[in-house]
Amino acid sequence: MSPTDPRTGTRDSVSQSYLTASLLALWLTWRKIERQLERIADRANPILVKETRQALKSRQFISTFLLILAACWIASLGGMAIIGPQIYYAAAGSEMLLAYYAILAFPLTIIVPYSAYRSLATEQEENTYELLSITALSPSQIVNGKLGSAMVQMLIYLSAVSPCIAFTLLLRGVEPLTVAVLLLHTVLGSMGLSMLAILAGAVSRVNYSQILVSVGLVLILTWTFGLAMASAATFVYEGYSTLRERSFWIANLAVLTFYFTTFALAYTAATARLSFASANRSTPLRWAMLIQQACFLGWMAALASAEGGASILATVFASGFILGIYWYLMGTLLTGEWPHLSQRVQRTLPQSTLGRMLFTWFNPGAGTGYLFSVANLTAVVAAGLIVLFSIKPSAAARWPVFNESAAYFLVIGWGYVVAFLGLGRLLINITRRFTYLPLAGCFLLHLVLLMMASGLPLAARLMVSRRQFSSTGSVLEITNPFLTLEPYTSSSAAPTNAPLTTIMVLTAALVVLLLNLRSVVRELQHHRIALPERVVEEEAALHPPQIPAPSNPWEHQ
Amino acid sequence: MIQPRRPLIELRQLRRYFGETRAVDDVSFEVHSGEVFGYIGPNGAGKTTSMRILATLDEPTSGDALVDGFSVVEDPDRVRTRLGFMPDYFGTYRNVNVRDYLDFFARSYGLHGRRRLRAIDYVMRFTLLDQLADKPIDGLSKGMKGRLCLGRTMIHDPAVMVLDEPAAGLDPRARIELREMIAQLAANGKAILISSHILTELAEICNKIAILEKGRLLTVGSIAEISAQAEIVCQVHLSLLTGTDRLQRWLENCDGVRDVSVVDTHFSLTHEGGPNEQALLLRQIVEAGFEVVEFSSKTKSLEDIFLHVTEGRVQ
Repeated sequence: MSPTDPRTGTRDSVSQSYLTASLLALWLTWRKIERQLERIADRANPILVKETRQALKSRQFISTFLLILAACWIASLGGMAIIGPQIYYAAAGSEMLLAYYAILAFPLTIIVPYSAYRSLATEQEENTYELLSITALSPSQIVNGKLGSAMVQMLIYLSAVSPCIAFTLLLRGVEPLTVAVLLLHTVLGSMGLSMLAILAGAVSRVNYSQILVSVGLVLILTWTFGLAMASAATFVYEGYSTLRERSFWIANLAVLTFYFTTFALAYTAATARLSFASANRSTPLRWAMLIQQACFLGWMAALASAEGGASILATVFASGFILGIYWYLMGTLLTGEWPHLSQRVQRTLPQSTLGRMLFTWFNPGAGTGYLFSVANLTAVVAAGLIVLFSIKPSAAARWPVFNESAAYFLVIGWGYVVAFLGLGRLLINITRRFTYLPLAGCFLLHLVLLMMASGLPLAARLMVSRRQFSSTGSVLEITNPFLTLEPYTSSSAAPTNAPLTTIMVLTAALVVLLLNLRSVVRELQHHRIALPERVVEEEAALHPPQIPAPSNPWEHQ
Repeated sequence: MIQPRRPLIELRQLRRYFGETRAVDDVSFEVHSGEVFGYIGPNGAGKTTSMRILATLDEPTSGDALVDGFSVVEDPDRVRTRLGFMPDYFGTYRNVNVRDYLDFFARSYGLHGRRRLRAIDYVMRFTLLDQLADKPIDGLSKGMKGRLCLGRTMIHDPAVMVLDEPAAGLDPRARIELREMIAQLAANGKAILISSHILTELAEICNKIAILEKGRLLTVGSIAEISAQAEIVCQVHLSLLTGTDRLQRWLENCDGVRDVSVVDTHFSLTHEGGPNEQALLLRQIVEAGFEVVEFSSKTKSLEDIFLHVTEGRVQ
């Protein structure tokens, strides 16, 4: 009965050699994986590596982690004690999920983003940022490192709570899709908040602004935590029906589009803020703005075509209103840029005629910034007008009247944005002749101008007897855009003074545009310059021209 | 890649104004490979400002600074890979040990794999920190932190090192060690720009010095050259074999000589003029038939030169 094989020896020895071979294969595979992991770790972002090491040694992180674990235990034991034997048949999963969600949402919406902010702020307070900025790390690597570090923390907190969340799936009242959507939203929300916190850290460099930003950030994060809890409660209880609605997913897609484009904008803004002064800080930001606008218009167009009818007007109104405010706000920042173009930027300017025609408005500078804002808004208004005038009158015959009101709204709104941005830019130019004016100062100057133009006539009207003026929308208060535009949104018929208002506002806008045109044209005339000799020399040394390989044996000779 | 003829540091009419204050005003000089260049001046003279511009931490109002031919304004990325800057603060992180700190900066300068590990080991040995590899930075003494910062500055083997007050607050032993390290780095071909208030130490390691005051460059050159420019009046000592009385009378009639005192055969006098004039005086004495056995003049120290050149004004 011996299991001996005359050729290979005993069965035991065969199985032993199989086992050895399997173990060897396993060990070799593990070594391969380990080497790959080492390679990944070696190439990982230095800030991510450093901050992960720091976090693992920091008391704050360890105590937060332990507190979360303790809170999870308390919630589990307390919850089960309260629910009691009903846990086997009652729909208690929702309540338990909400309790765990509160434990998870607190670090994800408050601690992680605030730590990301503090991480950058501390670098600036303790002068390590200067040391970091003169290394070979690019600004985007610095932002990636800080963001990556926030994500690692987020994942650790998530891994601490996830067993408890998985436990709720064993109870009644919760379905996996609800949990997945809830967690996805929370993680994305936390990432977005961390990005905004990093932007806040990049923007606030001096002590007093850091204190202000710090307080503001804590308030916003606390409010977001409350909002997340309220939304989660609604979603968990109504999730089953909500998840089966098509509109929910479409709305989610729309929100995600807004989220990703805003994330990209915040990312490019933070990177720009950390860049060296001679770098091109503006062009990536303008691309991000343009893409965000395109996405927004795409969604609005999809909404209008899907709904049709009266919603087209609402969409045009909403698009004009939102993008008017958007380009005004972006314009206040873009017109605050320095008109001087560094040689470094001039090396990368578009060179061909077509390139100059298409991309010159992306060049940094206050003039091109003004042009960029005005051109984008003009495109939006033009598209809106085309849509409005292409709508056929309905049987009820009220469309043409309402279209007229909407058209006036778009045109007058355009005029206000062009005029206020242009005036603000002229004021910035004048102020900068006498004193240094930073970007934040330019933004404030624009706001003060808008407030004065809106508030002074209103104050004058309130001081004088009201009978001397007509009601709101008077031509005497034409400098107030809010008051002037309000009648066009609340009534289907355009006010009687609409043509006069339009002429006045458009005239002012065109005059301001012409006043700005000279300096804008000066900025548009920049041409690409050649690389310095030393740079060419180094590039040639780093990337020597490829010598083509011989294609036949005679080429060797 | 680095051409020996090209200066590794070049300041071209560098200016940096903060409102009305001219922190750096028309400063130009060059530092070549293997040179240790001392940057001297009273507080507020503009040393740190110009060093920060070189390190791409600040921008000049006008003019330019070049590192290995690259402008710090237009090509800061290329400058950063070639330059190590040690500021007058430590800039350390919490919960980080010595090795991790150097590892972080090695990674940040783009060193990977074995190259990074070798660089860290070399720097720790060079700065004598290898015994403290696992010690948290917070627990290091000031001298050790200074060494660590020097290690961080040289981790990517830069061709140019800019050291702002590296010896401040160090004990004598640490200063001597730092001086030796700097000399060794210069011997390895690095161009080193160093500022310090400890002038005696600078005098020992610097090939060239520049003296700044109120943002303006007062003088630049080797210590001997500047000393020669500065020594308008100096003490001369001479001894004779014989003829003491005759020489005393001869000296009293000599132009540029005053305060002659005699003790035995040893003379002490004040002479107006630099080394050239002293050589002429010696020749005249010998030609007059006096048997000179000793002729010496007290060379001015860097501190004397500094006090002579600067006026002690601040802005």
